[in-house]
Amino acid sequence: MTASDFKAGYLPGIADADVTWHRVNMGSPDAPLRVDMPLISAGQMAALAGRIRCASQAHLKTMQVSEIVRVLDVATARLLDQGDVYRQALERLLPLATGFASEMVRLNLNAYLHTFRALQLQRFVVEDFPNPKLLDEFQPRVKGGWSKAYGPDLLLHVWAGNVPALSLWSFVSGLLVKAGSIGKVSSAEPLFASLYARLLVDIEPRWSDCFAVVWWPSGGASHAEQHAFGLADVVTAYGGNAALQAMQANVPVTTRFLAHGHKLSFGVVSASALCAGTGPQLAHQLALDVARYDQQGCYSPHMVYVQRGGMVSPLEFAQYLTSSLAAVSHKLPQRGLSLEEAGQVSAWCNAYELEAVTNAHVTVMGGHAVWGTVVFSERSLPLCPGPLNRRVLVVAVDSLDDVAALVEQQRDFLQTAGVAASPEELLVLSDGLGRAGVTRVCALGAMTQPAAGWHHDGRFSLLDLVRMVDVEDSAERSGEQFTRYEI
Amino acid sequence: MLAIDQTACDLLVADVLGFMAKPQVSDEAFNALALRLFAHQFAHNMPFQRFCHSRGKTPRVVKDWRDIPAVPINAFKDLTLSCVAPQTCDRVFMTSGTTRGDVKGSHYHPSMAVYDASMLRNFDQHVMRGLKRVRMGILFPDEHLLPNSSLAHYLGLALASFATPDSAHYLNEEGLQIDLLCDALLDAQCAGEPFFLLGASFSFVHVMDELKARGLTFKLPTDSLLLDTGGFKGQSRDVPVEAFYQQLSATFGVSAERCLNMYGMTELSSQFYDAGNHTTASVKSGPHWIRSRLVEPLTGQAVAPGERGVLAHTDLANYNSVVTILTEDVGVMQDHGFVLLGRAQGTQAKGCSLAVDAFLKASAP
Repeated sequence: MTASDFKAGYLPGIADADVTWHRVNMGSPDAPLRVDMPLISAGQMAALAGRIRCASQAHLKTMQVSEIVRVLDVATARLLDQGDVYRQALERLLPLATGFASEMVRLNLNAYLHTFRALQLQRFVVEDFPNPKLLDEFQPRVKGGWSKAYGPDLLLHVWAGNVPALSLWSFVSGLLVKAGSIGKVSSAEPLFASLYARLLVDIEPRWSDCFAVVWWPSGGASHAEQHAFGLADVVTAYGGNAALQAMQANVPVTTRFLAHGHKLSFGVVSASALCAGTGPQLAHQLALDVARYDQQGCYSPHMVYVQRGGMVSPLEFAQYLTSSLAAVSHKLPQRGLSLEEAGQVSAWCNAYELEAVTNAHVTVMGGHAVWGTVVFSERSLPLCPGPLNRRVLVVAVDSLDDVAALVEQQRDFLQTAGVAASPEELLVLSDGLGRAGVTRVCALGAMTQPAAGWHHDGRFSLLDLVRMVDVEDSAERSGEQFTRYEI
Repeated sequence: MLAIDQTACDLLVADVLGFMAKPQVSDEAFNALALRLFAHQFAHNMPFQRFCHSRGKTPRVVKDWRDIPAVPINAFKDLTLSCVAPQTCDRVFMTSGTTRGDVKGSHYHPSMAVYDASMLRNFDQHVMRGLKRVRMGILFPDEHLLPNSSLAHYLGLALASFATPDSAHYLNEEGLQIDLLCDALLDAQCAGEPFFLLGASFSFVHVMDELKARGLTFKLPTDSLLLDTGGFKGQSRDVPVEAFYQQLSATFGVSAERCLNMYGMTELSSQFYDAGNHTTASVKSGPHWIRSRLVEPLTGQAVAPGERGVLAHTDLANYNSVVTILTEDVGVMQDHGFVLLGRAQGTQAKGCSLAVDAFLKASAP
């Protein structure tokens, strides 16, 4: 076999020669990327799990959270440094592997990484643990007794998709609760987690056996998956609902299973936000949300509800959005689409184009442009997913109150609402959206960059991983009877 | 919309028929007639005109047949694509509605003159190959049972024009007439006279299942031929193409070279044939009045030579509807035609966003 461009994985204690390598050809014919994925045996997986459990007890559980944060901060600083070899490898390999434009990867990586610096990480911890020392030692409880949070000895991550560095969230979450980790990379983006693991060990050699990055072929009855699930204390998995369902069937009932399914996000623009000056600006911010990672993220908007009655009409907003999409494509070009993807996008465009022929309420803007299509509907439509790759449906509504009813059918899939509304409207609107199933409200332009310590899909990133241990007041009081001295 | 001038329209039909009757034609002649048809359709079909305007393609700017907007086949469901009032049309062919539930596309034919001429001339050349009349068995219901089926009409035409009087349909409202078919096949085999069995691909599967259950195989005489069409889309089971033709050949004793596949669509007025299925990935070609291109589905631009693309057909026999259609079929070009690679399938989202395709699958009953 010819040499690969990249060997994925991080396998402490296992020599390369003892691993079966599976070649995955990524990239395009013009810019190929040959990646070798590690296929390890059941015995190797079991040995790895044992090794990581021990090391996490010896080297992670003994560290203070603040010390862990310091290591992670150094890692982030190195990844933000253009001169660092790991950063350079990411900038070189990620565009090849995922097809996303280099500039897109570079800018998004920076925006993403800055939420993983020390200050943000501490905020991340305190979001779930107002007293972070709960992770270090037993802390007194107000009503008596003591509590301490224990991270799992072995946390298994199953990452999915091609969004670069998506694995960082759960990788870091695991470390913050002192969990040993085995992460399974996706075939579409095996690079980041592999490099990140090596970088961490470069910074903190004591962590060399505290985690591993592995791979197995997904789908079907995967024995590797079933076996790995049996070894873990907690499994956190990403993917479509069908894939998650198949995984769940393989998770032992005593193992906690945290699933992050595919999600659906949208925008809401209030008439109060649509002045002559702010209208085009908001459209530009929304265009960035759409363009970033070509709408592939769970937080990427598919549709936008625009209220009538502002100085900029919903139709004009759609026109601004169209020209903004064209404009941002110069800096952030759409990645090349496979024939199948192009067919899917085209089918969506065709359907609206044909509807526009007979229905004056529908206008198609941008047509079949590579950089994007905006469909405007004067009639209100319920939220439904689009074909991604910068295709947006802009829908006019009379009132912000109408939006919750239009999105709530998708309750199981809702995630982010990008909102432009006045302070008076914001919480009323957010409450309606929250009741409909939305878990995150942010500004337009910030949709693809969740704040540090966000509740991913409405859950707790760290709390969901730990096990709380309570020493109750009764034990403490009873202990008082057994002092060596008299009270 | 311009009122249709019957004399001009008759002249156009006459010219299309004249074009088809020629033994061969120049690129210029094809281009000129395609543009004339486009201008005619643009002038007399308002929904098509609006569609062209949305694409910025009008007869004023389109000078090459390749620039005529390719109308997605779904448009036959959503729009009325006819230059004359639909109720005045002789026949309406409807799609089977396999892709979008019960919504059916309609193809309006003011008269059958052009469709029939296209079918007969092409069938004569590619299927009959010098034979005048032959005994035929049709594995499809007749036109009275399925008046809106273009395939029923096509097979009826084959029967009326090229079949001997002892030919028959072996599929009717009571289902497959397997006993009668077996008698006919045995009869042909004993008489040593060629037999043509034509029909929907999946009907052949049913027949082969039946014959297998009875332990029957045939050895049809030389010059016999099997012609299947339609493939297995929307059917209860998928049959690999290679296995299908092997089994056909083995069951009826007809060499795979004489097992033809016809590729046709309700949205077209002409058909494509291959030259047998002795090799897989058989090359399909059409008569000189239809030309096919492979395009990138989103931009509509021609794909690079050798690349996969979605088929767009410019069929000059489509004089009343739209001259160029965009299919959902993926193909690759070869010398003298194209190889079909199947229907463009949706693809899974690569990221973590729900995509329309996954959603449709999830919500399917």
